[in-house]
This record gives sequence, structure tokens and C-alpha cells, in this order.
Amino acid sequence: MLEIVFLAPFVTGLLAFFAPGKSGRALLVATGAIHLLLSLILWLQRPQALFPSYFAVTPEGILSLLVISLLFFLISIYSTGYLDSADIKSENVFIGSMLLFLSTMTMVTLSDHIMVMWIAIEATTIASAPLIFIHRSAKSVEATWKYVLICSVGIALALLGSVLISLSMEIGNVDAPISFSALSSEAKRLDPFWLKVGFIFIFVGYGTKMGLAPMHTWLPDAHSEAPSPASALLSGVLLNCAFLGIFKTNKIMHAAGLGDFSGAILMAFGLISILAAATFILKQTEYKRLLAYSSIENMGIIAFGTGIGGIGAYGAILCLIHHSLIKSSLFLTSGNILLGYGSRLIEKTGNLAGRMPKTFVAFFAGFAGISGFPPFGLFIGEVLIVVGAFRSGHYILAGIFAVSICVIFAGFSKHIMKISFDKSDIKNIKIKEKASMIWPQYILLLTSVALGLWMPDMLYQTIVNAVVSIGGVF
Amino acid sequence: MTQFLDIILALALASIIFSFGSARLPGLIKIVAFQGIAVSLLPFFTGQEMSVGGITFTLATLLIRGVGIPLCIYIVIRKVSIHREVEPIVGYNASLLIGILLIFAAFFFSRKFNVPSIADSPLLLPTAITLLVGGMFLLMARRNAIAMVLGYITMENGIYLVGTTFSARILHIVEFGILLDVLAGVMIMAVILQDIRQKFDDVDTALLRTLKE
Repeated sequence: MLEIVFLAPFVTGLLAFFAPGKSGRALLVATGAIHLLLSLILWLQRPQALFPSYFAVTPEGILSLLVISLLFFLISIYSTGYLDSADIKSENVFIGSMLLFLSTMTMVTLSDHIMVMWIAIEATTIASAPLIFIHRSAKSVEATWKYVLICSVGIALALLGSVLISLSMEIGNVDAPISFSALSSEAKRLDPFWLKVGFIFIFVGYGTKMGLAPMHTWLPDAHSEAPSPASALLSGVLLNCAFLGIFKTNKIMHAAGLGDFSGAILMAFGLISILAAATFILKQTEYKRLLAYSSIENMGIIAFGTGIGGIGAYGAILCLIHHSLIKSSLFLTSGNILLGYGSRLIEKTGNLAGRMPKTFVAFFAGFAGISGFPPFGLFIGEVLIVVGAFRSGHYILAGIFAVSICVIFAGFSKHIMKISFDKSDIKNIKIKEKASMIWPQYILLLTSVALGLWMPDMLYQTIVNAVVSIGGVF
Repeated sequence: MTQFLDIILALALASIIFSFGSARLPGLIKIVAFQGIAVSLLPFFTGQEMSVGGITFTLATLLIRGVGIPLCIYIVIRKVSIHREVEPIVGYNASLLIGILLIFAAFFFSRKFNVPSIADSPLLLPTAITLLVGGMFLLMARRNAIAMVLGYITMENGIYLVGTTFSARILHIVEFGILLDVLAGVMIMAVILQDIRQKFDDVDTALLRTLKE
């Protein structure tokens, strides 16, 4: 009965729209806690689904689910503090959409049927659009418009890709359910031409949602306009969900012996995204957009690693987990800065170290983590990707990869130094640094450090199981 | 039966040409509604056995695509009562030429694809491709937000055509997915409507200008 994991937040999400007064906040945190508990039970017990042809527990799915669950619980705690200080008029809409968003993302991680996955990803767009729209300013209208339109068109292409894969089954005379697991085991008999075409459409479709360049244009707007807890969710887990769709299709390609074809596409778009992020990150004027471009960079890194396969794919999954942990903490911290300084512009901030010391610690540690410094786990992931690239003989690509990451680091650190240490003419900071708005970030960062230093064997095995079919690990 | 099928597909093809040439939103909405009805009628004529559930589902889709969505959009532009022009980036004559070339190209390329399940209807694949690419063209070549939504719906019609004919076994899930898309479409509407309301509260015309991008 694993469906309860996404049904529970769905029900509470609907309830939250009618929650009286401020009771929605309690509902948010309670649902976060219950969801985390259910995910842990799922992780330990791996129960059967009620509809086994549609839903199943897969290693990559359960990994993402655990990340989503942990993140959401911490973000829900942060949100209670954030809602006190921020000016959000329709609080029930915010909380309800957050919960529905959680429900749809959980559904993505558990879906095994290719169409159910598509429906779930489309549903994440619908559930998250109100979160971006919530301030109702001209800019947020534009951001929502771009988000819904670009992602809907992208996802429509993914639907076409899914239909084409089912066509490749028909031509190959494969009589099996259209689930990722069944397709992977029957992959050799699928028609290779339509499977390739289907993969391209699915890649472009879900790649749009994942934020890969050049389909990334919605991402910086949406991430900067959404309230910070929602940005943390968008960047930390929504992008992972879209990646999951590509990852699972890539597994089918590998099983069909077309791994080189899909790997090349993944590597190419991965590098393009990293390069695009490197170009745009230098001239950003808003810190939330800066973080958004860093997400594009990291999605590029993850796609690149997955394309390399083998040890690179293992590194990519590590990057996926640690990017979620670190980036969501950074977005939450950016919420503190926004509330404290009252502006999204980098030049309106300054002297964060002196003005908001606790926020500064979270911000600077997050910056070190996202730039790939040890002991944060992202470091290990990126090193493994470079090792994987060298092992498979992609010397030039590994070089481009390393150089652009250095450029991004340089651009990023320029802005971060300005925010942290420059003089500021702001007289008084508008909020107090409450524990509920500091500790979630600390916990996220500490989790990343802990996982970088010591990885539980069960987690290691799950990651290995997830990537074993795309070229083994070592 | 195949005669009816071909007639319906020919009508869908014609609707693309008309939609490329139409300059005003009400006309474009009617064309897309017509196209939606034509496409939704298709499952009745493909010669497959239909269950009661299947018939209901197809009729429901027909009502939503042919009546529901177009009516919604029509109400929206009535409320807004401005920007009736579709504001082309590519002019109408050029659009028409592109449309005709597109149909030729679609016919040319679909001969290359060897798809056994639709061999008895030579019009099907070209129509699907034309709707898909044509919808994308409308999305890119028109600046008006509502015209872009209509382009998106045209694209969805193309995918529906591919979905209903290529893969009979996942028919209902595809249709369910399309219903979800409808929800997304309605949400886009809501966004526009909200924006216009704001505009009336506050006489800032920059709002619509930001929307177009």
C-alpha cells in the first residue's frame, strides 16, 4: 500500500485550502513529519503497491523520495517562521499548494508506468504554478506565464515521446505493460528507430522541466519570483523529479544497447547547460537568480555525469542528492536575506556577516558546499564525474567541464563576497534571526557534510543498484 | 468507414491553413474548436471496437475540446475586450505559405516512416505531424498570449491524434493525460484573467507588455 505516501499529502493539501486561521501551518508541519515517517517505513519495508502495474519502489525513486521527504519536513518548519515575517496574503493557497506539490512529486518518484509518470510530472506543474503566482505582481504573473507555457509545451513533447515508445513496442511485437521495469527487461525487442526518436522527445520534454539549456529560460524567473520556501522546493526536488524521467528512460536505452546514443545526448546538453550557466552567472544582479543559474549548472553536471555512465553516473547521483540538500538550504537562507534587507538586488545587500551572523554562516557554508569544496558531498560527486570522464577517454569534455566549473566559481564568489562583506547603507535589518529560520538550513548542510564523510552502507547499495544498469560502478 | 476518416483528417488539415491565416482571436478560437471536434471524432471511425466506457470517454473529450475550452477562452477575451488581434511575428501570407510547405513536408516524411498499424490510412500521420508542428509554429509566430494558448491546443490535438491511433492499449491513460492538460490550459487562462483584473485596478499598461514576452 505504498500509494498512501502520496495520497496523504494530497488529502491534507485539499484540507489546507479550508483551514481556519493559522491552523494550516500546523497541518503543513504535521504532514511533513508524517510523510517523512512514511518514507522511512517505505525505505525499510519496500511494500507492494496496490496497483503494481502503475507504481513500484525503484532504487532511484526511493532515493529521490527520501530526499524530497527530508527537505519538505525541514522546509515546512522554515515556512512557519517565514509566514510570520513575509507578506503572503493567501496563506491557505500557499500551504495547500505546497502540500499538493509534495503529493505530485511523491507520485513521480513512485510511478513505474511511463504514462503515469508523465501525468505526475504534468501535475507538478499545475500544483506549483500557484506558488510562483502567489505575490500577484506583474513580474510574478510573467514568471508564472512563462513557467506554465514553456513547461506545458515541453511536457507535451514528452507525452509524444512516451507514445512513440509505446509504438516501438507495437512494432517490436512486445506484449508487456508500458512500465519502465517491463520495458527495460524487454528492451532488446523494441524497435530501435522509434525508441531513439521517443528518447529524444522525452529528453527534450523532461529536460525543459529539469532546466537544461537551452530550454531553461523559465527557471530563473520562476525561482526568483516564488517565495523562498517554494523556490527551495522547486530547485531542490522538482528538478530531480524531471531528471528521474530522463534517468529511467536512459536505463531503457542502455538495456536496448543504445546507451552510447543517449549518453552522447546527455553529455552534450549537460555541457551546454554548464556553459550557459557560466555565461549568465557573471552578470546577475539578483541573488535568487544567481542561485537559480547555479541550479542550471548543477543539473548540467548531473546530466553530464549520467551520460558518461559507470562511475560518472554514481557521481551524478551523489551530486543529485547533495545539490538538493545544499541548494534548498541556500534558497531558504536567501529568504532570510530578502526579508532582512527587503530587496532581491545584490547591490542593496552587504555586510551580511555583521548584520545577520547566523544567516551568514548558513549562506557562506552553503556557498562553499555548492562550489564543490570538501567536506561537502558535492565535492566527491564532481570528482567522480571527472574521473569517469577520464576513464571513458573524454579528455577534452572533462577539460571543458573543469574550466567552466572554475569560471562559475569565480563569478559566484564575486557576488557572494559582495553580499557577505561589503559595506551596506541599510540602517536596520527588518527581521530577527529566529531559530526556525536558521536551524533547517544548518541541518541540511550538516546532513550533506555527514553524508560526504560517511555514507551508510544501505544508501551506498541503493545508489549502486540505481546505476548498475548504466555501466556498472567501478 | 475509411472515407469518413479521410474526410475528417482532410478537415483537420484545412483547419491548420485557416488558423495560419486568421488575424482575429474569435475566428481563431472557432477554427481551433472545429479542429478539436474533428480530432475527437476520430476514434469512432478507426474501425476499432469500442466499449461503453470508451464511447463515454471519447464523448467527454469531444465536449471538453470542442465546446468547453473554446468557450472558456471566448469568455476570457470577452471580459478582456482588448487585444483582439493575434499580433503576428510572421505575417499572414508568409504563414499561409509556410502552412502549405509544412503539409507537403509532412506527407513527404511520413512516407519514409514505416508504421504498419496505420498503413490503411495514408492521411493520418501527415495530419498528426502538421498539427504538431503547426501548433508550435503558432506558438512561436504569434505574440498574443491567447493565440499562443490556441497554438498549444493545436499541438495537443496533434499529439492526441498520434496517441489514439498508434497505441490502442494506452488509449484511456492518454486521454486522462489530455484532461490534465485541459486543467493546465484553464490555469493559464486564470493567470491571464488575474492579470487583466489587476490592470483594471491599476492603469499600468506595462503589464500586458511583459506578458507577451
